[in-house]
Order: sequence, then C-alpha cells, then structure tokens
Amino acid sequence: MTAPPAPPVHEPAWQLSRSAIWLWVTEGVIGTLVYGVLVGVGVLLVPASVGGPVPVLRWLLPVLVAVYAVVAIGVRPWIRYRVHRWEVTAETVHTLTGWLTRTWTLVPVARIQTVDVTRGVLQQLYGLASVAVLTASSQGTVRVPHLEVAVAERVAEDLARRAEQVRDEAT
Amino acid sequence: MTEPAPPPPAVAVVPPGDGGPAGARRTSPLVVLVHTVTFKQARQVVPAAIPLVAAIGIDGPGVVVALVAAVTALSLLFAGLTWWRTTYADTPSAVVVTRGLLARSVRTVPNDRIRGVEVEAPALHRLFGLVRVRIDAAAGTVAGSDEEVVVDGVPRAEGDRLRVSVLTHRRAARPVPAGADPSAAPEEPAEVELARFDPRWLLYAPLVASYLAVPLAAVGALSRLLQELPRDLRPDLSGPDLSDVRVLVVAAVAALVLLAIGAVLGAAVVNWGFRLVRRGGSLSAVRGLVTRRHTELEVDRIRGGTLAEGLGMRLVRAARVNALVTGLGAASRRGQLFPLGPRGEAVRLLGLLVDDPGPLRAHPPAARRRAVVRALLAGLAVAAAGAALQATTGFWGLLALGVVLTVLSVPLGLGRYAALGHAAGPRSFSVRSGLLVREQAVLQRRAVVGWQVRQTFFQRRAGLATVVACVGAGTGGYAAVDMAAADVAAFTAAASGPWATASGPGDRPAG
Repeated sequence: MTAPPAPPVHEPAWQLSRSAIWLWVTEGVIGTLVYGVLVGVGVLLVPASVGGPVPVLRWLLPVLVAVYAVVAIGVRPWIRYRVHRWEVTAETVHTLTGWLTRTWTLVPVARIQTVDVTRGVLQQLYGLASVAVLTASSQGTVRVPHLEVAVAERVAEDLARRAEQVRDEAT
Repeated sequence: MTEPAPPPPAVAVVPPGDGGPAGARRTSPLVVLVHTVTFKQARQVVPAAIPLVAAIGIDGPGVVVALVAAVTALSLLFAGLTWWRTTYADTPSAVVVTRGLLARSVRTVPNDRIRGVEVEAPALHRLFGLVRVRIDAAAGTVAGSDEEVVVDGVPRAEGDRLRVSVLTHRRAARPVPAGADPSAAPEEPAEVELARFDPRWLLYAPLVASYLAVPLAAVGALSRLLQELPRDLRPDLSGPDLSDVRVLVVAAVAALVLLAIGAVLGAAVVNWGFRLVRRGGSLSAVRGLVTRRHTELEVDRIRGGTLAEGLGMRLVRAARVNALVTGLGAASRRGQLFPLGPRGEAVRLLGLLVDDPGPLRAHPPAARRRAVVRALLAGLAVAAAGAALQATTGFWGLLALGVVLTVLSVPLGLGRYAALGHAAGPRSFSVRSGLLVREQAVLQRRAVVGWQVRQTFFQRRAGLATVVACVGAGTGGYAAVDMAAADVAAFTAAASGPWATASGPGDRPAG
C-alpha cells in the first residue's frame, strides 16, 4: 500500500473557479469566529472552581478551536480545490467532490429532469454560482459548486436544452 | 367474493353544474352509516368538544346518554354533509374528486400521472358491501399524503368498474403503437396467477421482526391502558411468587408461545389469501383477512425488485420480495409482491420481474478485513466508554455490552462481509448488502439514472470503493459496498452503458 491507488473511475477534467478557495476560506473564518465566541463566553462565564471536567475543558476547547482554524482556513480550502473536478461530455455530467471522502457522481444527459442554478449570499460576494442537476432518483443529484456565474448559467442552459432533445423516459 | 349484492340505489349521478365535471358521481349513501359509526368526520370536533363537556360536567347517567346521543347525531350530520358535498368523476383524461363542506376543493389527477389503483374493503365496509378505492398519483409532484386520491365508500361492483375504467383510460392516454387498433375493445385480459399464499408460510412469522413487533405493541398498549384505569377499577392481583425458578421458566415459555401465536395471527390478518396475478399490462395483488386490499401495479413501471431476508428468516430460508416501481415514492407498501414465504419461491418470482444477472461476485479480502476491523473498533469504543463509566460511577452494564460486542465483532464483521456481492448480466445487475436484514436488489439496466462512487480515506488506502446505482424507484439508490476500486468502471459500464466510464474530455465553457 505504498503508491497512491488509482481512482476507481475516470477523473473529470475541469477545476472550479479559483475564487472558490477564497469562499471556503471565508466560510472557515466565519466558523472559527462563531466557535471562538462560544468558547470565549464559556471560558469567561464558567470558573475553573466548578470542578469536574471544567478545568480540562478550559484549555482543551480553545486548543480545539485553534486546530479547527488552521484546518478550515489554512488546509481544507486548498485540498478541496485540488480534489474538486467537474466535466460535461456529450453524454454525461460528471463531478468529483469531497475532501477526505471523495465522491464521484455521474449522470447521463438523457436522464436529467431539471437543472437549477443557485447563488448563495457568500457566492454573490465572489461572483460564483452552483449548478444542481436533478434526476428521478433522490440520490442521483449532481451538484457542481462554485462556478463563475457566466459559466454556470451557460452550462445549465446547455444541459437543459440537450436533456430536452435526448430525453427518453427519464426514470 | 361472496358478499351479498349491494342494494340497487348504488350510484347517484349528480346533475352537472354542482362544481364537478359532467358525469360526476356520488359515493354510496350507505357510507354515511359507516362514517357515523367510525366518527370519521366528527373526530375533528373532538378537541373543541372536550372543554365544553368539562364545563358542563358529567353527573348522572342521563347526561351520559344525552351526550352519546348528541355525539352520534353530530357524527351523522357531518357524515351526511360530507357525503352530499363529495363527488367523483372518471373522465377519459383525468380523475376528478370534488369535496369540502364550505371551501370546495377539486382535485384533478391526469390519467398519465396515475401509478396504480388499490381497492380495499375494511371490515365495516364489507358489512355494507362497500369498498374504498385509492388512486396513486405520481410521487414527487405533491408531498406526503396528497400522493393519493381516495374515493371512500362505493359498492364493490362500482369499485371494480372504477378500477378497470381508470386503468383502461390510462392505457389509452399513452401513444398507441403503430399498427395497433386504437379502437380495440379494452377488455379485461386473461389472468395469469404468479403466486398464491400457502397458510403454512404463516409459521415463518415468529422469526420475522416486523411480525413479532405486532404482539409486543399490543402488550405495550394494554399495559398503558391498565395504568390509566382508576385505581379502584384495577383488578387486585397478588403477584405470583417470583422467587421460584419453575414459575419463572413457565412464565417465560408461556410468554414466548404467546408471542409466537401473536406473530402468526398478525401475519395472518395482513397476508391471508394473498394472491398475485398478472392481468395484461399490470400486476395485481390481493391480501388481508379483515381488510381486503387489492393493489394494482403497472408492469411497464417496474424497474426491478428487492429480495430481503432477515436474520431469523435466513435460518429457515424464507424471504420477502418487493417490486421497485418508478414514481411510487414513499408508498413502498404497495410494491410488496411476496410478503413472506420460502426463498426458492421468492427467487422464482423475482426472476419473473427482472432477468437473473447470474451469481454474485464476492468482494475482495480487503473488504472482509475492513468489515471485521470496523466491528472490532466499534466494540472497543463501547468497551472503553464503559470502562471509563465503570471507573467513575461503578456502572458496569456498558462495559459488559462493550466486551460482548468486542467478542462478537469477528462473527459480525464476517456476516456483514458475507452479505456483500455484485453481479452484472446482459440485461440486469444486482447488488447485495446488509447486516441483520440482508437485502439484494436486482435492477434492469434501464433503471439507472446515475452512478455515485464514494471512497473514504481508509477505502482509498485499501483499494475499495462503494458504488451506488441511483434509480428513480424504491429508496433512490442501491449500493455495492466495498467493491474493488479497480472493478468499478467495468461494473458500471456493464450494468448501465458505455457512458458510465465517462471517457473523452469535452471543452470547458469559458467564463
């Protein structure tokens, strides 16, 4: 088990927008702030004299927040950006997402039912949009996160048109 | 059926202009009696009535009689009004149900969205020769219970007419193949019997968890009822002498026997007289002792089936078969084609639904290692938590559980591994998994609407991957857990089509 094992299926070719990294960094900063405030309030309000596990938690929780900050801001966005891939071919829509657990999703254009483009608040800040390709199966949804708005809209339009043309029963 | 024929004033045709379409019909007036007795509509006013009754107070038998009379009269009134304001119509293009006392609602279900028709006859309905017709609309369009339209309380003959009429209309709603005569009489085609329930199969019931739950739930409900009784009404039983071992053993044996009898009875009530027939383009299942259910499924919409065997069922080689039907959504009860019976019979029936893809291929040894290690780690984690708990509070139950789980982890892991398998045939494929209930899904190639391949960090190191076939039926996805990563592309391509290998890059749209 020395060489990195080959991926089980073909790797999609295209990367997300580079702005996605900064969006994930922003999410990490927000998460760190939320946890930091919660832990800070806890440390200020609960004195160590309460006993039980409190004296340990008083230093353990801030350390955990610091570790989370390093991972969520400094490591995870870059790994995610390197892992995430997507591709639209003549027959299929194909994505690879994840960080520690990798997930490939593959849907043939003929089985597409609807195509959604969504823009969250943070995404609007960075000019990004997500594309969701839905099928008859609740588990067969392809989500391409964080594309440039123009790309997302073009892809959605193209997929919807082609699905209309080649659609068989779609179930 | 041998019930007496219903009385002649069967179906009242409502004059048009009452909100419904031309040809709208009312249900049988007899349903008013059924609903009066069951308080179907009057139930809604119960929350409002309770404070009223509390304000008046119940003293003396006179008030009780008056109360019962008032409630019955109210129930009759509500049932009558509901009957009067409810009409249904089966037009060539849609089924329309109009109802509502004051706020009228018209539900129109286009025929091409109808997935199946179920005719059921609860005990009270049977007394009056009535049936209830449930019409399944395509799932996903509306949420929850709105997936079906119910026409409650039509005579049996009218119920059968409605079922046949809806099904023939629905067939006509589809494009007629070239060369076929569209005016061909939509007669009821000949029946082919596919399966018939053997009462001996009821003996499997005590080994099936879901049937065992029936008597347990009954005991639970009874004990709750006993506790809510006023103290002076409770029977004053002196408990038996529990210190005697013989009493304990006898009680345990008696409880087990009662549990087994309860399970058999429960299975009999649900499955008595089960019969599965193929009639033209649809499968039709009948079952039930008290409530007769008549379920109709369209063969064209069947994408495959699942064969489920619980732990107890595997001991006696029994199994259960469900059909996977597109658009049936959460109404999976309807898909049950073979409730309980010998495995060989179940496999034969599954083979009629979908081609057998051949014997399952076992997953690589790494999958076995992973299953055992995971079971072992879970057991050790529970044991560690139990040890910590024992050290702090002296409670040893969790520690004992952890030790037992750790000892059992090897057989558990091996059992989990033994369930794993996949196979791809020329027109179908199959995946199997499950620890207690082992479920094998056999699906047609055309069922696949997508693939999902998952690899956790540890699966990557072990060269394994979990492959989920996404289908628009059943639970939405069926997984081949921990198959060799190198086999994934070949399996997905063999089980669906060459598109599943997804080779050949396209041009990325420029931003």
